[in-house]
Amino acid sequence: MPDLFKLILQIAVILAVCRIAGSVFRRFGQPRVVGEMFAGVLLGPSLLGWMAPGLSAYLFPPASLGFLNALSQIGVVVFMFLVGLGINPSELRRHGHAAVLTSHVSITAPFVLAAFLSLYLYPRLSDDSVAFTSFALFMGSAMSITAFPVLARILAERDLLGSRLGTIAIACAAVDDVTGWCILAYIVVLIRSAHNPASIWITIGGILVFALVMIYGVQRLLRRYETVYRERGHLSENLLALMLLLVLASALCTEWLGIHLLFGSFLMGAIMPKEPRFVQYILDRFETITVTLLLPLFFAFTGLRTNIGLVKGQEMWMYCAFIILVATAGKLGGSMVASWLSGMPVREAAGLGTLMNTRGLMELVILNIGLDIKVISPALFSMMVLMALFTTFMTTPVLAMICPDQILRRELTKPTTSEESIPGITVESTGGSAA
Amino acid sequence: MSHTNRNFIVAYVLLVGLPIVGLLGVLKSGRSLTAPLSVDGVWRLQVDPVRLAALPCGKALASAPETALAISQSGRNFTLNLTNGPKSTASGLIDGTTLKASVVPMATWSDEIGCGAGRELSLVATVNPKTDPRSLAGTVSVNNCPSCASVEFRAVREAPPAKKGSH
Repeated sequence: MPDLFKLILQIAVILAVCRIAGSVFRRFGQPRVVGEMFAGVLLGPSLLGWMAPGLSAYLFPPASLGFLNALSQIGVVVFMFLVGLGINPSELRRHGHAAVLTSHVSITAPFVLAAFLSLYLYPRLSDDSVAFTSFALFMGSAMSITAFPVLARILAERDLLGSRLGTIAIACAAVDDVTGWCILAYIVVLIRSAHNPASIWITIGGILVFALVMIYGVQRLLRRYETVYRERGHLSENLLALMLLLVLASALCTEWLGIHLLFGSFLMGAIMPKEPRFVQYILDRFETITVTLLLPLFFAFTGLRTNIGLVKGQEMWMYCAFIILVATAGKLGGSMVASWLSGMPVREAAGLGTLMNTRGLMELVILNIGLDIKVISPALFSMMVLMALFTTFMTTPVLAMICPDQILRRELTKPTTSEESIPGITVESTGGSAA
Repeated sequence: MSHTNRNFIVAYVLLVGLPIVGLLGVLKSGRSLTAPLSVDGVWRLQVDPVRLAALPCGKALASAPETALAISQSGRNFTLNLTNGPKSTASGLIDGTTLKASVVPMATWSDEIGCGAGRELSLVATVNPKTDPRSLAGTVSVNNCPSCASVEFRAVREAPPAKKGSH
């Protein structure tokens, strides 16, 4: 049984610290989520545990963290459903070759650079129970991910969602996320089946059958949701509860198949109907409680696992600097070069590269999976969290520097090829948006 | 095939196809790399409590029932905690098959048992990854105490090396 007093105290402290940090970061022009990610690190051994070990041990005793983790995982399951809901597979097709090339290069460039970096990091930060292939593939997928929700928030705040830059960035981020999660699923299967090579094919076969059933069977049934919404203008509580049940069932299926809960919830979101008003209606129902209550718990849990004290000495900080450099060069540089070669003006291409370099919350989700399956060590986890914080933090100021407002206004007046954009979760509570 | 399509295919091959070939090369060459020995996990400590208690700083450790070493590894570096034992912080290095760590007692523990200023427990142990990867054998000694004898210990990994990939 959880110690309810301790659990509620933990939740209260986490919420308070996250809201304060989020508000402070917003004052400096950063999305609230960056502050909340930072707040999580503050509550962990990197700051609170280091400055006030007694208070830290009282607030977050190791035995109590299981309940906090369970709550935070529920939040991430719903969050991944909402991320999948905001992704529209047809977005990419609208933008033709430029978006296809940019999105694919924005995955391969950081992926390959990360694999090269793995040649250097593997003997230094891993151990012999992890195969090099798993290590390199994980590093590649962790560095090639883009935080779709944070990116959408930054674009919305700068009034860029309808611009060519915004729509291409959203389309590329969607492709990156779907591809990144597919690669990650493969890595999880590879690692979990390491002891039994025969089971890898059973797992992959099971996943393929599950995906086909979802895409060609369940997706058709889900269209009825949109029909009911169009006819009545709302969904009953029973239908919303059924939707949550489907998300949980899908999550359980992927966990049972040997990948991870989050793949199932993401897939369920991705196959939901994409009519913009319907998507917005679902987001309105689930987003606030997820973003304001449950995600801060995830940030705190991640922060409790992040120990910057493990990154000690000149050598370790040099590894960390390499990771940030490679992640930025691969993502920002790769996306920029590809979009520039596709005919985008250099300033806009640099803006797109900067946006694609936003990793944010999605990176933290992936890193936690990596630490759970022990493909990365605690020190490397801490370095990657720092990289996620750094690349997310740099997006807003660098974008403002590359694409000042007056240039963006001019760019916004140009016609775009996109149709009506689909709303997506933007990691900001209703209150936060208004702030 | 139109000029635009041809340019797209050339750009795609150069920017996506070639890097993927490079990735396959990296994955192949990386297979020959060796990483430090895995020692991550919980190791059940087996030590003569009488001899351990005779050591300065060793008394509290000897009185703790079923003490285990919880090792958290990051490459060659590791941190070590004594589960069920007195609170302490330890960090160490792996050099081939040898582990070296210094256990710094927390202030309260150090005062209670009279460790003395500047004294800490030093652990040196080896693993034989080929014959017995689940067993650690070594000695505990006290730094800055030439008259103190070192005490031999053995530690056994609680469970088989954590299956990488399981939650």
